[in-house]
Amino acid sequence: MTTTPRHDEIGSTEVGLDRPWNVVVWNDPVNLMTYVVYVFRKLFGFPEEKATRLMLQVHNEGRAIVATGPREKMEMDSFRLHSHGLWATMERS
Amino acid sequence: MAGGIELTLAPGESHALQAVPELLESVGTAGGDPAADRLDQAPYPDDPEAAAEFRRLMAEEMVQSRAADRSAFALTVEQSSRGVILSAGEAEAWMRVLAEARLVLASRLGIIEDGWEDDLPEDDPPVALLHYLGWLQQSLTETLEDYLP
Repeated sequence: MTTTPRHDEIGSTEVGLDRPWNVVVWNDPVNLMTYVVYVFRKLFGFPEEKATRLMLQVHNEGRAIVATGPREKMEMDSFRLHSHGLWATMERS
Repeated sequence: MAGGIELTLAPGESHALQAVPELLESVGTAGGDPAADRLDQAPYPDDPEAAAEFRRLMAEEMVQSRAADRSAFALTVEQSSRGVILSAGEAEAWMRVLAEARLVLASRLGIIEDGWEDDLPEDDPPVALLHYLGWLQQSLTETLEDYLP
């Protein structure tokens, strides 16, 4: 399990000494793999290959970091994942 | 991808789907509903104050977002046995409604681990519905993939 943020936006939007946050998606036994890939592509604009890799990481390792950035933006990303029924939490990066 | 997504379901399927809005409306109406816990998320599992603040800010928007999806679903589901053309937006609403309904069913069945498909009897009505909704959600998702950039 890597702790290196895989997100593309890190660095450009950080302000002051605020540490960024990660959005973590957790495995659940109900959401379809195809659907999770779709949601990652739709919400984050990931290419299919990256979305699939993250979905498999969630499935096999139990969790994956799908976004890293400022707190407010990560709250919105969490909200959008929740509105699609995915199980998502935040943690300090 | 003009023209929308054509959906024609067997009468039995369409009938089963018309129970979905009621299923979703039932969430949280009784105490201790595991479905309410599953759907009412906040991204701060170890920080009750931050979780409460998140809910204070976002709960209404979540209610409205889900209500819009349910409305789009309810308006089109009755026509589904005769054939209905869904816009991509309507198909997405269907997809989210089906995802939500499956979470409700699964949480009430006590499903917490992978592998439940082998353990639960497929002829049990809520399990059968869970499987059927999954099949339909899969079909819609595969169709909607073509609309992604």
